[in-house]
Amino acid sequence: MCSFPPAGVFLVGALLLPLVPRRVRPVAFLVPPLASLVLLWTLEPGQTLTAAFLDFQLVLTRVDGLSLAFGYVFAIVTLLGGIYALHLKDTGQQVAALLYAGSALGVVFAGDLFTLFVFWEVMAVASVYLIWARGTGRSRQAGLRYLFVHMAGGSLLLAGALIHYNDAGSLLFEPMEGGLGAILILTSFAINAAIPPLHTWLTDSYPQGTVTGSVFLSAFTTKAAVYALARGFAGWEVLLWAGAVMAVYGVVYAVLENDIRGILAYHIVSQVGYMVAGVGLGTEVAVNGATAHAFHNILCKGLLFMGAGTVLYATGRSKLTELGGLWRALPLVLGLYMVGAFSISGFPLFSGFVSKSLAVYAAEADHRGLVVLLLHLASVGTFLSIGLKLPYFTWSGPSRAIPVGRVPWNMYLGMGLTAAINIAVGVYPAALYGVLPFPVDYRPYTVAHVSETLQLQLFAGFGFWLLRGILKGESTITLDTDWFYRRPARLVYVMAVVYPSQFFAAVERLTLHLVRSLVRASRDPIAATAALFRRSRQRRVAWPQPNAVVYDPDRYRLPVGVMGLTILALFVALVLWLLLSR
Amino acid sequence: MRHLLLLLPVMMLGISIWGDILARRGEYGQWWYPVPGFFALLGLLGCVALVAVSKLLGHYWLQRGEDYYGDDNADV
Repeated sequence: MCSFPPAGVFLVGALLLPLVPRRVRPVAFLVPPLASLVLLWTLEPGQTLTAAFLDFQLVLTRVDGLSLAFGYVFAIVTLLGGIYALHLKDTGQQVAALLYAGSALGVVFAGDLFTLFVFWEVMAVASVYLIWARGTGRSRQAGLRYLFVHMAGGSLLLAGALIHYNDAGSLLFEPMEGGLGAILILTSFAINAAIPPLHTWLTDSYPQGTVTGSVFLSAFTTKAAVYALARGFAGWEVLLWAGAVMAVYGVVYAVLENDIRGILAYHIVSQVGYMVAGVGLGTEVAVNGATAHAFHNILCKGLLFMGAGTVLYATGRSKLTELGGLWRALPLVLGLYMVGAFSISGFPLFSGFVSKSLAVYAAEADHRGLVVLLLHLASVGTFLSIGLKLPYFTWSGPSRAIPVGRVPWNMYLGMGLTAAINIAVGVYPAALYGVLPFPVDYRPYTVAHVSETLQLQLFAGFGFWLLRGILKGESTITLDTDWFYRRPARLVYVMAVVYPSQFFAAVERLTLHLVRSLVRASRDPIAATAALFRRSRQRRVAWPQPNAVVYDPDRYRLPVGVMGLTILALFVALVLWLLLSR
Repeated sequence: MRHLLLLLPVMMLGISIWGDILARRGEYGQWWYPVPGFFALLGLLGCVALVAVSKLLGHYWLQRGEDYYGDDNADV
């Protein structure tokens, strides 16, 4: 029995944070992740925490190897992101980040689909604030689209969970067998895992997040979805191919991207592809590979977003076409960024080497030659865009006389610590392999593996050197599947907003007209009825005036008498019919 | 100095291809395992192919002006 849910630490922290003095808040932000690390340390696989809700026994916390691995890295990245954001004086963002991290932990420890759904929704709502807090028109609109997509995903999850409950009779979140419920749930997970064509919420919104907010954004939503896929859909063949394709899809788009955080966002799609492919394979080593790669990617992508965010923070610019020559002004940021770049490219001695190789090895062990080649190709593209194109066009070249602001020490500290963990995991892989859900029998540092990685990356570097002329940023955007909901926005606006509002206005007018008519008619029903009959002779209906004295007993003698007679005649006819029909 | 810097990657390539030839592959053999320098070729051709495919797709189809979706800075 687990005494306190790990998510609860963050949620309580988010509630209490606004109550501590403003100056202390950035430091107080670090308490929940530290406390949750201690709590996670004490948890044992097999522990659960249940609570009764209506007729259900909800499993708020279920601890096993898979959830613990994700739990650790979520807590670590929140701590590192908190250090990176120590200079921030925005309570809203701090609370949103804590809620976001807490709900992500809630997702990975949720033992039933209802608890999962609740945390899933909190995650969407908390995270959108980190986009909106940037305060630009672009971020507002991207955040709104982000929220729409996630609300749709959440609805699919709820619908799927209800259908699953109806079919299976249980809300427990266990490996899914199939059926409509499972497919709806899978679609909802696929949205959050940013599997194309459902990925554009990510590439649309992450570049628009705040400098510190995008660090958290890059960590939680997609990886919590990878966890959910690994828990519910391990071994679904469709995920293997979806993963392999998305790994390449992301790098192809990253080549065309001009925004530095946009490049990183497309590489989230690509890197999550490795994890989704691992989940699709479903073997123990593949799920280990997916988990290891998620662990690595959270730290590595966090570091890269910190680096790119620092450039944005210091220069106010994030487009390759507006950047360049920063090596003199921000050399340390370049060094720390490059640790992340080498790590994500899978260079030996960096964390990506030990995690990516495990994911690819799993595909090799399953004799999936094509998948292995696609993943290697994605690796080439990763080094090309993140290791070469982005730093080359941001830091190298002649100085563009870009005004560079001062970078707070805590940003360097956050990046430094994240870089140190990336290197530590690369040098000592047992630290990572030790937290994976299944025992690992794999050695990444073999001559063959090191040599193939070096060949792959060095020749990719050679290719970049040859093609660097055409790889520079272009001030364009690239059409993606968000075209389908962004381009027809005007049409959708007219169809979904203008026409319905015109329709509602017409109905309102009609209703008011009817009500007015009824009010007037009910003041003197007989006169109104008489007025209706007079209509044939007289075009305008003469309604009785509200204050006019209209009662005249003689006037109503005939109609009331006729009505009474009619009712009496009907009553007599009814009685006769009842008597005769016996 | 510049030549030395250029020499470094070349030496690393040489060593890695040599390592390739020496290396004993794992048990899950793929058809490319016996080919020395296969990954060097994959790295170079993969890089060129990725750039070519993206740039062609981009220039002839996918890349549009930055205000393609209208003025994003307008208030919602």
